Amino acid sequence: MPATSESSNNEQQRDYRSNSLIRLTLRNLLRQRSALIGGGILLALLLVAILAPVIAPFDPELVLIGLEDIKKRSDPCIHLLGCPEDQPQHILGTDGNVRDVFSRVIYGTRVSLFIGFTTVGFAIIVGTILGAVGGYVGGGVDNLIMRFMDVLLAFPSLLLAIAIVTVIGRGLQNALLAIAIVTIPVYARVVRASVLSVKEQEYVAASLALGGSHFHILFLRILPNAIPPLIVQGTLGIATAILDAAALSFLGLGAQPPTPEWGTMLGSERNQVFTAPHLVFFPGLAIMITVLAFNLLGDGLRDAIDPRLKQ
Amino acid sequence: MKHKTLLVFVSLLVLASMILAACQPAATGPVAKDYEELAFGEPLVVSAECANNKVKEIAALDEFTVQITMCKPDPAFLAKAAFVPFFVYPREWVEAYANEENQEKLLSQPVGTGPYYIESWNRGDSIVFKRFADYWGEPAKAETLVFRWATEGAQRLLELQSGTVDHIVKLSPDDYEAVKGDDTLQFLPVPNPNIMYLAMVNVVDPNGERTPSIFGDLTVRKAIALGIDRQRIVDNFYPAGSEAASHFTPCSIPNACQGEAWYDFDVEAANALLDEAGLTKGDDGIRFETAIYYRDVFRVYLPEPGLVAVEIQTQLRDNLGIEAEVIVMESGEFIDESTNGRLDGLYMLGWGADYLHVTNFLDFHFSRSNPQYGDPYPEIYEVLEEASTIADVATTAPLYEQANNAIKELIPMVPIAHGAPADAARGDVENAHTAVLGPPDLWNVVPGDRDTLVYLKAAEPISLYCADETDGESLDACKMVTEGLYKYAADGSALPTLATSCTANDDATVYTCTLREGVKFHDGSTLDANDFIRSWDASMNAASEYHIGNTGAFEYPSYLFDALMNLEE
Repeated sequence: MPATSESSNNEQQRDYRSNSLIRLTLRNLLRQRSALIGGGILLALLLVAILAPVIAPFDPELVLIGLEDIKKRSDPCIHLLGCPEDQPQHILGTDGNVRDVFSRVIYGTRVSLFIGFTTVGFAIIVGTILGAVGGYVGGGVDNLIMRFMDVLLAFPSLLLAIAIVTVIGRGLQNALLAIAIVTIPVYARVVRASVLSVKEQEYVAASLALGGSHFHILFLRILPNAIPPLIVQGTLGIATAILDAAALSFLGLGAQPPTPEWGTMLGSERNQVFTAPHLVFFPGLAIMITVLAFNLLGDGLRDAIDPRLKQ
Repeated sequence: MKHKTLLVFVSLLVLASMILAACQPAATGPVAKDYEELAFGEPLVVSAECANNKVKEIAALDEFTVQITMCKPDPAFLAKAAFVPFFVYPREWVEAYANEENQEKLLSQPVGTGPYYIESWNRGDSIVFKRFADYWGEPAKAETLVFRWATEGAQRLLELQSGTVDHIVKLSPDDYEAVKGDDTLQFLPVPNPNIMYLAMVNVVDPNGERTPSIFGDLTVRKAIALGIDRQRIVDNFYPAGSEAASHFTPCSIPNACQGEAWYDFDVEAANALLDEAGLTKGDDGIRFETAIYYRDVFRVYLPEPGLVAVEIQTQLRDNLGIEAEVIVMESGEFIDESTNGRLDGLYMLGWGADYLHVTNFLDFHFSRSNPQYGDPYPEIYEVLEEASTIADVATTAPLYEQANNAIKELIPMVPIAHGAPADAARGDVENAHTAVLGPPDLWNVVPGDRDTLVYLKAAEPISLYCADETDGESLDACKMVTEGLYKYAADGSALPTLATSCTANDDATVYTCTLREGVKFHDGSTLDANDFIRSWDASMNAASEYHIGNTGAFEYPSYLFDALMNLEE
């Protein structure tokens, strides 16, 4: 039974280590005021996204022509703030197609968070595999992968995304794919750097000597060390992805009408910046708040995971 | 010694420069030229066999007389001749630049007889025009005219309000009230007749791969015609004064509204037709998917294209169960694809009158050589061809009734709206005005106490050789520089310009025009009959060695005169 006993001890030690790491990180994170604010905003945004059908008074794609006595691009009307009772209430007014702007901004949260999480998730998975294989195998394979990553990094990310969308066609799905592709190199580099620093460690050599397979060593011994920086990079990356997606949609390459996406809302009403500023102000504000939340949380996570960086 | 050598060297350099300058043709006008002016010489004649083309012969009878002979009567000839694509360039200029080697000069440095000449075209920024001192008529009021452009309506209005421009075009409908309420600005309604339509192709790419289209089925086209609430579009997305179209051509034009008015909005009938066509609704309530194509460019007939596209998308989905993707295309690509019938779906396009005759709307859009709806409809174009040969308005009325009814029956497109656009100008601009056709006569406008008139448009011209252009921005710029036999007066009627008069024979098949004498081009050369013949030869004659332009399509010469001369089948 000694083998079983040794295995049980190892698991306990691993649990203890991971628990202590998570606890330490959480404790550090709770000390970061900016991270708390960012996390709080993000939590609120997640609730808004999940509860959008409850919060939004209208279907975001519903055109109100004929349903209400209201004109396009009407000003915000809140009865509690003195808007006449005989006017239909629209907290943020209506847009050029006579749709409720508040409902569209609320539903836009779903779209933007979906964009952020899916693009970064995809990029992390692909980038991790490429970075891990390159760093672990080394030599020609590493050279090939990383030079390709260098080529991708040589282009401004938004321009590259535009080029990819131009080739594969416009639309939200293609925009997501394009944004994910251009962010892959960032994660591949992070993971490769971690793999390179860890693979020469003695415990890795020991594991290899004990007959562990390369797959086992790479994914269970080495890669867990890359998770903290990946989390930090991913959190910051979500903010960038949301911004890039909004930019693509603003240019008409991302989400297509009538999808309630903030960049699309900005793009379609950009001409009304003086006559109906609320139509560009609120989607712009929503983008800013969301990006700010992820950036604050990302910065806080970085400081919490590696306090040396803060110093 | 050194000084002496230097002096000799400089003297030789000066001498060489003088010899070189002497070898160059003298610049007798404000526009430099690298070609010699030709004497009138032999009168030029260009002729063709009568096939589908309407023009049979263009001939110079003497130095100041030209004659145009038609294969069939064309009572609208003078109205067409007053249109920018048929304006006159110096013969020498055409012969020097209408070739592949000098195409760039051809497209960017037009030489005409107009009140302004082009000093510079600063791509992406502006075109600077200068007053032509030797202009045969009353000289331009402003010394300098500048064309600039801004695609966004808000930017145009901001520039006007801040005083950096004098006149802006295509005011956004939402800005009408702001301009009317501003004492420092002038609100200028544009009386240009126009139409916005939603088109469909019966076969995609009719002159190429010929892919079948779902809109090849007349039942589907009729369902689209019945299922779109056009009045709702006009009420919500067009400025006051606009109206839902009863016919393709605006009713202010004679014979435009002969025949039955367009279908009334009827959702039930439309859905019944789609059911009949076998396009039943799926579990998601959708019958089939298609696309709505448009270009995001402000036009007099379509002030807010994005909003109207989404509105049509909404109506198609809600009224008919048709899921349509809204696709914005680059302007040039959109025009190329749509006018060649290569868009598989619906597309929003429109037309502003070039001259006040029903042929300008119907003959251009439904001619036998126009593939924009797929295969052209003989039931429409054969009647139009017959009508276009008759001068008397009353006589042609039954034919236009037949044509309009055929359009309603065959539904190549759905006429949506006639827009009511407006411009705006600074309050101190004297004689600020708009025209029924094309841009205002800017040479008659006084920009307050300034010597430069700045005219802010919505887009940059594509090219400035307007014989081969349909782009409105290009045509507007060309109108400042070039002139034709006739021009349009403020009310849209044709007035003699480079011609002092034109007379037609009894059946309107032969037009004889006497040219004005002593008219100078910007390059210093003098107008004669051969200038007119060479200009028309280059645009109308497909076999001419000078038949080179921007795209080579020469759409106006082709569509307005049925087909080009000497066109190979």
